[in-house]
Amino acid sequence: MILTDREILIALDRGLITIRPHPDGEAFTSSAVDLTLDPLIAIVKDPTPALENVIDPRAKGFNAEQVMGELSEQVTINSKNGFPLPPRKLALAWTREYIGMKTETRLAARVEGKSSLSRLGLVVHMTAPTIHAGFEGRIRLEMMNHGAVPIRLWTGMRICQLIFETTLGTAERGYKGQFIGQMAQRSSAKRR
Amino acid sequence: MRVKVREISSGLHPSEVVIEVHTAEGPERLVVDRSSVQGNSIFVGWRAIAEKKGQLLVELPRETMSGTWRVWVKRNEIAPESRESVGAA
Repeated sequence: MILTDREILIALDRGLITIRPHPDGEAFTSSAVDLTLDPLIAIVKDPTPALENVIDPRAKGFNAEQVMGELSEQVTINSKNGFPLPPRKLALAWTREYIGMKTETRLAARVEGKSSLSRLGLVVHMTAPTIHAGFEGRIRLEMMNHGAVPIRLWTGMRICQLIFETTLGTAERGYKGQFIGQMAQRSSAKRR
Repeated sequence: MRVKVREISSGLHPSEVVIEVHTAEGPERLVVDRSSVQGNSIFVGWRAIAEKKGQLLVELPRETMSGTWRVWVKRNEIAPESRESVGAA
């Protein structure tokens, strides 16, 4: 079930979820909380003959971070002019907010776009929206402008929304209770 | 319970770092928040998910670059201060 704004606030108060800085009242909708855009973005460069033209994620020693670092250039969004994201450009971006979800919490979350930006053609994630219990950090956004003209990005603009859902039970690694040993033995036995 | 890690490089964002975990199958790299790394280890849950032949199945806090979340690690890859938690498995 999806958490309402009231339940998200309760989870924040109980420390099950951390959002830092704490979102203001306007950031909430009935069943989500808006997150904002960090000033730093990594724009994937146009291909050149000098760049590798094939990425092989299964190559020995593959380091996605290094590859994306070589393929992209870091840009800090100009506070006066913003940054116009050209059409068909992939950009890695981050939320300004730090998110923490306790491992033992019966919650998961999904990062989703905002309709106001989707209508313009802006995608904020590439089919990987799930935030598992135990996550901590800023949410990385894989952004693409599918529209016909550049979309101007601004630091602090509402860029995505986070939807929290309750899970059926606690994940295996999140158990702290008295039946820990039994559960683990059962899991272990199944795999043998 | 914490698993030992080695810092490989900075991430694309200053808040991130690329780390390496020594799994039974070989090294696995992933990007995590810098605050997740304490004493060259990361938290992987309150206990191992399973155990076999001195190896523990743990779930990492983020997906590795090869696309996996759960990895088998040797018992000596568990950070010493959290070894008492391993007994749960």
